[in-house]
Amino acid sequence: MTQAEIKLCSLMLQEHFGEIVEKIGVHLIRTGSQPLRVIVHDTGTSLDQVKKALCVLIQHNLVIYQVHKRGVVEYEAHCSRVLRMLRYPRYIYTTKALYGDTGELIVEELLLNGKMTMSAVVKKVADRLTETVEDGKTMDYAEVSNTFMQLADTRFVQRCPMVHAPENSDTQPPPPAPNLVINEKDMYLVPKLSLIGKGKRRRSSDEDAAGEPAAKRPKHPTDNKEPIPDDGIYWQANLDRFHQHFRDQTIVSAVANRMDQTSSEIVRAMLRMSEVTTSSDAPFTQPLSSNEIFRSLPVGYNISKQVLDQYLTLLADDPLEFVGKSGDSGGGMYVINFCKALASLATATLESVIQERFGSRCARIFRLVLQKKHLEQKQVEDFAMIPAKEAKDMLYKMLSENFISLQEIPKTPDHAPSRTFYLYTVNVLSAARMLLHRCYKSVTNLIERRQFETKENKRLLEKSQRVEAIIASVQATGAEEAQLQEIEEMITAPERQQLETLKRNVNKLDASEIQVDETIFLLESYIESTMKRQ
Amino acid sequence: MANRGGGRGRGRGQLTFNMEAVGIGKGDALPPPTLQPSPLFPPLEFRPVPLPSGEEGEYVLALKQELRGAMRQLPYFIRPAIPKKDVERYSDKYQTSGPIDSAIDWNPDWRRLPRELKIRVRKLQKERTTILLPKRPPKATEDKEETIQKLETLEKKEEEVTSEEEEEKEEEEEKEEEEEEEYDEEEHEEETDYIMSYFDNGEDFGGDSDDNMDEAIY
Repeated sequence: MTQAEIKLCSLMLQEHFGEIVEKIGVHLIRTGSQPLRVIVHDTGTSLDQVKKALCVLIQHNLVIYQVHKRGVVEYEAHCSRVLRMLRYPRYIYTTKALYGDTGELIVEELLLNGKMTMSAVVKKVADRLTETVEDGKTMDYAEVSNTFMQLADTRFVQRCPMVHAPENSDTQPPPPAPNLVINEKDMYLVPKLSLIGKGKRRRSSDEDAAGEPAAKRPKHPTDNKEPIPDDGIYWQANLDRFHQHFRDQTIVSAVANRMDQTSSEIVRAMLRMSEVTTSSDAPFTQPLSSNEIFRSLPVGYNISKQVLDQYLTLLADDPLEFVGKSGDSGGGMYVINFCKALASLATATLESVIQERFGSRCARIFRLVLQKKHLEQKQVEDFAMIPAKEAKDMLYKMLSENFISLQEIPKTPDHAPSRTFYLYTVNVLSAARMLLHRCYKSVTNLIERRQFETKENKRLLEKSQRVEAIIASVQATGAEEAQLQEIEEMITAPERQQLETLKRNVNKLDASEIQVDETIFLLESYIESTMKRQ
Repeated sequence: MANRGGGRGRGRGQLTFNMEAVGIGKGDALPPPTLQPSPLFPPLEFRPVPLPSGEEGEYVLALKQELRGAMRQLPYFIRPAIPKKDVERYSDKYQTSGPIDSAIDWNPDWRRLPRELKIRVRKLQKERTTILLPKRPPKATEDKEETIQKLETLEKKEEEVTSEEEEEKEEEEEKEEEEEEEYDEEEHEEETDYIMSYFDNGEDFGGDSDDNMDEAIY
């Protein structure tokens, strides 16, 4: 774990769970697997606080536990999982695009709560949807259940490992920690529930709000006695599947940018066909025959078989090698090459970074070295058609930032410098790692700046919130224009301007975080796929 | 080693590799040596590309900010206990400052967690300030646990009312005495202030037998 990653994890935990959880989480990430007593001793927090923090972290799948010998339970944190928290808005937006508002809320609830039972999710989502819908209508549980089942079928949500009760639990004392196992087949199996009901609207008037909790409190013990039909079956969001989806989306848009809409549709059809047959970290999809692709093209697309074949040949011959031809049976067997696709995307990211940071001439040199693999100083100047002095300057700038590296090739066994070739080369994997590290640092800087800006203007923000609350309450009791005007004037014009600037800055910083996270996703996927191949 | 002394005099500034191979020709002006770390915010040569705007970007942005706010309200957000201020203030009674004991606000599924993490679930403590006063009848059958609980509630409300506390403490003592079934006969028999055994009411005096009187009685 690099320092930048640890710092970013610490900021994420602090923003979402508070300082105590942050301290425990960062300690676990830094030091690895630890038992409870050691955590208490090293972090200096009280035992109860540590227990609370660990419960929260385990609930959100950020920490796992393992029973070691002599009954000691050790806790281990997953740094990469903590970094995923940056991507939550993107997951939720994707679900909204695919399954509408219902799906969006289901995934949001699952992400916010870590893991939940299906009945709890359905109930909460129905209640939330009922509030947004107009008066008189309510959201039926059945609709929400349907969407949930669709999400489970397409594997966007999965079951958490279940408690494995040993058979002879009477003779042995209960283990210090439950053993959690999950069967591969059961992971997406939705339990048969008959959830009948409608969403409840939460009343907005104060009287009802006061009446309801008082009525609810005696009911609370009876609720616990009702057997929950799917007790013990918890669901969580399947982040790998989301990543697969993002990867597919990026590939399709890359093809659309490079060629045209039709080819991107063909690639999309191929990806859709291999969604469930290919595991998420496979380097290739299963070979698909041209006939199958033709059959599974979207209905509106009227292209003839010949045109499809031509497109496929074009895609397979493309130097980017997104699509490869693996055989001739069935009209031609085609695969999508994920490794190569991710490598091209990562390289494109690197090129774009160099272009934006150093200029287009530097980018030209970079692309040149990439293409020719190894080049001498003189050759770079000749091929790039850039005067020697500038070429030197640019090469050294890129060298100092570690985008380009030097490769020594000795002519003589004693490696004498005057008789050694020094060649410039680009090692895409190490450059990608370096860029990823820089991305983590950027996100850390962005978050810190945002927190700083908010802290600077805390007094002003609180004041504006108070004024808004006053306006709302005055409006509710019915007020004239003059009164509202007067209240609004409590915030002076320069203060208003300051608030505007603050809002704009915070929005910009937030949007930048989201943007950097997209780059992080791309680079991480590339590095992961390359490492697996090796 | 042979060049150690000689290197300073002759061939000053010799490098281990041939400069021309890397591209620095003879007599070329090299950039000035760096004597300090590079500036923290170097001037940008190229402005960054504008952020993607549009419906999707704005929606995701709004979603992110909403999520941030929502997470702070969830029970998973553990606030550190506010440190006790130097003097107890009257307003402390009316300000809610987080959970008083170390219980959890939400209910995790304890079956899925290691046993050592289980925290005693806080029972709903009802207000007992006015109810305890009439409870005088002996409660010898009362469980020890309930007294402990009562003692704990008392502890928590210590700062609020001191006079009530004293009364309650007296009751506790009474109850405890009844429970322990100690009956201090000496103190309570006649409800006097005098301990009975110290008082000798003279019944034994002069009741000694007069037989075998060899010694004189004074």
